[in-house]
Amino acid sequence: MTSKNIENGRLAKSIGRLTGTLTLAACILASSNLLADHTDRNPNVSEVKAWDTVKVSRIPDGIYLRTQNDPDDLIWDRLPKYRTNLLPAPPVHQSVGLRFDEGSTRGKHVYFQIARSDERLYIRLHWKDASEDRATTVDTFSDGVAVQFALKDVDTSYMMGTDHENPVNIWYWRADTDKVENLAAGGYGSTTTLPQQSVKGASAYVTSDVPQKREWQVVMSRPFKSDGEYDVDFDRETIPMGFAVWQGNDSERDGNKRVTHTWILLDTSLNGSTKN
Amino acid sequence: MTVKRQLSMVLDLNKCIGCQTCTAACKLMWTNRNGREFMYWNNVESQPGKGYPRDYENMGGGFDADGALRLGRQPSQEDYGIPWEYNYEDALMTGTDPWLRPNVKPTWGANWDEDEGEGDYPNSYYFYLPRLCNHCANPACLAACTRNAIYKRQEDGIVLVDQERCRGYRYCVNACPYKKIYFNEEISKSEKCIFCYPRIEKGLPTACAQQCVGRIRWIGYRDDEDGPIHKLVEKYKVALPLHAEWGTQPNVFYVPPMSPPKFGENGEQLDESRIPLSYLESLFGPRTGEVLDTLADARQAKADGRGSELMDILIGYKHSEMFKLS
Repeated sequence: MTSKNIENGRLAKSIGRLTGTLTLAACILASSNLLADHTDRNPNVSEVKAWDTVKVSRIPDGIYLRTQNDPDDLIWDRLPKYRTNLLPAPPVHQSVGLRFDEGSTRGKHVYFQIARSDERLYIRLHWKDASEDRATTVDTFSDGVAVQFALKDVDTSYMMGTDHENPVNIWYWRADTDKVENLAAGGYGSTTTLPQQSVKGASAYVTSDVPQKREWQVVMSRPFKSDGEYDVDFDRETIPMGFAVWQGNDSERDGNKRVTHTWILLDTSLNGSTKN
Repeated sequence: MTVKRQLSMVLDLNKCIGCQTCTAACKLMWTNRNGREFMYWNNVESQPGKGYPRDYENMGGGFDADGALRLGRQPSQEDYGIPWEYNYEDALMTGTDPWLRPNVKPTWGANWDEDEGEGDYPNSYYFYLPRLCNHCANPACLAACTRNAIYKRQEDGIVLVDQERCRGYRYCVNACPYKKIYFNEEISKSEKCIFCYPRIEKGLPTACAQQCVGRIRWIGYRDDEDGPIHKLVEKYKVALPLHAEWGTQPNVFYVPPMSPPKFGENGEQLDESRIPLSYLESLFGPRTGEVLDTLADARQAKADGRGSELMDILIGYKHSEMFKLS
């Protein structure tokens, strides 16, 4: 081997090393990309802010859902997805205020999809949660998610409704029972279980080696028409809607939660018509 | 919180023998089933000790000097003690297990540190402290509930949890500094001592008081001037609330325990009680010493044949005089 060849050999080795380093850097960059929440750049996810209107998607008549509330159904890959930011709910009671700490000032993204067939209205929600908290014990709290609808117009308080004249209908999924509770409230502290438990749901906790990627997926649905006094009537022009998420491992329950501040408006009409 | 009348209980710690009959009476009546197995609405602790749930005195809760709720620590299942059962069938009947043993490893319970106390022989000491819900005039559990699920009955001041309204948020468990309200995991709601109100409504005393073999408990209304509560709390001022500094204004009162003198190095009796006054004051407040003097005087009067209404009440001759429920 000539000295030139030796030089070349060294050069090749160092290039090899450099390439290795670059590949590693690219990997780190790629994985940090995965870790970071860049769905705002995802053209399939639309950012929704307070007072924006979200139009319901249609599940075509020919589509048959194998399992009614399957959060992993293929249909959800084909329907528009929205993202909105949830912020800590303003404390309205000293018990909640006492637990309104620094840690809870962080916002949280919840992703949602809303679809209807002729018979049912479906909401699919998913949000990142590194810990799967399913147990309610003397000192542990379970994860949960809820969607609330104002029964009347947007003047209804987004904080659990205004009063019994201006109430909200709440669909509350809780991880401990893995069921959806159909509730109504007319102001905070008044949450009441409704006699007709017409809302059904199912969930999946998607785990991952990367804690930041673990998430809950929940589907809730109800017959489109419902005649319960406090069941939201979907046959309206727009329906004020909001979300809440409870993080069990942060001892969140009741008013210790992250919520939509004010309303998102839901348009349940198909093809621009408010008629079914 | 104003109520029309307030039922109240006085317990004389000089008479408690720590037999746990009250605990058993309460448990059989209310808490031996349906997710309440770990709960002791009434328990008897040895003091000094960590109590039940373990170290509850340092868990926080109650009110601060300004009357604002104080955040507390939520007790864990281990702090209460996980209830255990024995393998009676296998060990004693079929003989398939040579050992009689509990099905969980016991690590704590409602009277775990029984009779341990403190101090070195011959100056070691302990006493028994039965504890139940204090049916406070300013209940921290009630203040903490965001759903108004806890209320205080107008007719007798008994504090109850409306099981229809409770949604199991456990702010109450956290807020009660005495930790006398419990979360039932089976029904996801909170439950507590109900002062045996179905018995009270029939004119009967609570099960714990009725069954007490030491006859240490008096029940009556605070405003009944002829009743035992008014006499012990207001007239003779010998019954004190536990940890009044927590701000909840308890309606359960204790006659603090007297104790024999301490021994000196050469076996001589010292002018100092076996149970340190400072310790009793940490539980029952600054008036404890005064109360112990009153009790000593009354006891001496009785011994001298001079008679003492206070001692006659504390002796508790008749149940009908100890429980005045009308």
